[in-house]
Amino acid sequence: MKMLSKINKFFCSVKLAIFLFIAIAAFSMVGTFINQGDTTSQYRTIFGPEIYHILYWLGFLNIYGSWYFIGLTVLLIVNLVTASVNIFPHTLKAVFGPYPSFKEMMDKKSPKAAYEVVESKKNIEETKKVLNEKFGKPFSETETELYYSKNSIFRFSPYIAHLSIIIIIIGVILNVKYGFRSYTNIKVGEKTDVSYLTKNQKPVKLPFTIRLDNYQTKYYKDGIPKSYISKISIIKNHVSVAEKNIEVNHPFTYGGITIYQASYGHYRPTVAKLLIVNLKNRKLEKAVYAEFGKLYDAGINNIKFRFIPYKRPKRGEIPFFIELGNKRILKFNVLPYKNKSMPLIFAKYHDAVFLYTGVKSYYYSGVEITKNAYTSVIWLGSIILITALFFSFFFNHVETWVKLSGSKDGKKTSMEILSVPKKKFESFYKNFDKIIAKIKKDLG
Amino acid sequence: MISANVSALDGSLYFTISLFFVLASFAGYFIFLFTGNKTIPKVSFGILIAGFIIQTAAFVVRWIYAYKIGIDTPPLVDLYDSMVFFAYVIIFGFILIRIFYDFDALGFIITLVASLALAFASFSPLAPSAVEPTIPALQSYWLIYHIMTLFVSYGAFGASFGLGILYLIKSGRKNKTGGWFLNLLPPSNIIEEAIYKVIVFGLVFLTAGIVIGAAWADSAWGGYWSWDPKETWSLITWLTYILFIHARFTKGWGGKKMAWIAVIGFAVVIFCYLGVDLILPGLHSYATPGSTPIL
Repeated sequence: MKMLSKINKFFCSVKLAIFLFIAIAAFSMVGTFINQGDTTSQYRTIFGPEIYHILYWLGFLNIYGSWYFIGLTVLLIVNLVTASVNIFPHTLKAVFGPYPSFKEMMDKKSPKAAYEVVESKKNIEETKKVLNEKFGKPFSETETELYYSKNSIFRFSPYIAHLSIIIIIIGVILNVKYGFRSYTNIKVGEKTDVSYLTKNQKPVKLPFTIRLDNYQTKYYKDGIPKSYISKISIIKNHVSVAEKNIEVNHPFTYGGITIYQASYGHYRPTVAKLLIVNLKNRKLEKAVYAEFGKLYDAGINNIKFRFIPYKRPKRGEIPFFIELGNKRILKFNVLPYKNKSMPLIFAKYHDAVFLYTGVKSYYYSGVEITKNAYTSVIWLGSIILITALFFSFFFNHVETWVKLSGSKDGKKTSMEILSVPKKKFESFYKNFDKIIAKIKKDLG
Repeated sequence: MISANVSALDGSLYFTISLFFVLASFAGYFIFLFTGNKTIPKVSFGILIAGFIIQTAAFVVRWIYAYKIGIDTPPLVDLYDSMVFFAYVIIFGFILIRIFYDFDALGFIITLVASLALAFASFSPLAPSAVEPTIPALQSYWLIYHIMTLFVSYGAFGASFGLGILYLIKSGRKNKTGGWFLNLLPPSNIIEEAIYKVIVFGLVFLTAGIVIGAAWADSAWGGYWSWDPKETWSLITWLTYILFIHARFTKGWGGKKMAWIAVIGFAVVIFCYLGVDLILPGLHSYATPGSTPIL
């Protein structure tokens, strides 16, 4: 039993709580100086293999998921619960009684107490009346003793604040267990029903298919991006069931799953558009969407060709060329073309002219796909927390005992007034002095 | 060569004018410390209120200007705006404290901090005053609630820092005969109570600001919490002040230790507010070509 009470004392101590606050804050700090959740190869290049191994071993690369970080949080919860449970009966008694008597309170010699003796020129009953005007309705009353308690109900607010922390943590656990956060890129015009978990890149199957119909960036006049807009369709059983434009700050929720605009970009081009002109009859022979490196027929004199980008283009040089079927290499020439901004880029071989008109590139949109399960529990806990903090901070529980003793003739009364605040504020003593002065004025 | 980046059009000129009012007020409070002349702080307080009114007007001008050039969200996001707003709330906080307590000695710290913030905004090339269009990530009505609540808390913590310093000065000189300065300060236990009240006020707003931020992140970025450096530092700040309110229950943690926590706590706030953006990368500084959003 002695052991048990020792353990109990350890777990409910404020010192443990203070240690845990500092420890959790310190480990959190580490996590902000070392990037969390990068890949192994990224860490190796940043820190080098030895330091990487040390950091990995210490758990510093995934600190918020490390056993000791979770351990500290669990310890804090245990601390919070045991501390609350231990003091709760005391608080219950302070609020609902039985309240200590004047004598018991005097013997306690609380360092917070304010004490004053006042002589009243009125009898006990009239004195009581005046006191009740000053202190409110007494919580308990005997012939010679009065007990007042102000703001006692707010003694529960710290417990509610602690309870709300537990509600928030329950919400977080449920969210982690039943929800997920994932990310995927979708190419314009394509669809997917698979996304990749943010924490470990593992694929997750979605209950529907998302198609990216279009992607667009809008700009302010001075070129700063104004909005990133993806037009998406939700497809279920081959039927489009919803269509929506999503933007940053304007996600779309379907069936409990929310799709957020998170990123955008374009893939490296793989196709060039070439116009092939026959010089003999000055006619456009054909337009070819030439996949890089693939052999095509020019349609003129049986000429075969490939469009190939240089692996390491030199500065100022056109970064691609044409390789003919006979392995001959054709370089492109540049000719400023009338007053158009894009010059004519062409390569010539006998009667065939290859006119380069650009590459075809595909935009993609990066979307975060999230199942935000049980977040309402977290918000509920948060609202309770804020409210409870407010009430526990700004309402000071004040208890006042008055012992009355009438003179022999019953015309005069002597009062001993003892007032004890929960929080030792200077303003309490000032206020106490004010009340005493008033009582003296009214009864003196 | 330092040159102010000001314009009457977008209201930044009026912030710079208010800086001179706050500086004048600071000079008064500073002289008060050496002379103890009771009329000086009254004049200083008047000048400060005038500066505060000018700042209020400057905000109105700036918001209208931003609205006119087609920016829907209030201009609160870049370094300049957040610095002037910080000065604004800290002065507001002091005015409130001054109305309820006889706290002239606090004036010199508050006006000093506010002057520094305003001077940095007005003269630092790091904080251009031009109203920039809001990037997509910040185009949301959550923005205003998120920033307002947090800046109220920052202002309160700034005030608690000033009070903490006063407390430490006072307790450090306790045994020596009180000089001109110490006699001007309110009794230690009044400062102690003020530290507590200002901090818990800030803590309620800090909690609300973090929760609003989380709710915004939930509706904009895919999750309520991402352990992004700014989020994490806001948690560290929160834990610091939570430690403050629990430390009161520990035996032997008198006013001096509490005052130290108030001072250290504000250092954490400053790191969370500025350090994270200038040193650590993260969501709060993301997607920002050329500008630093401070949230």
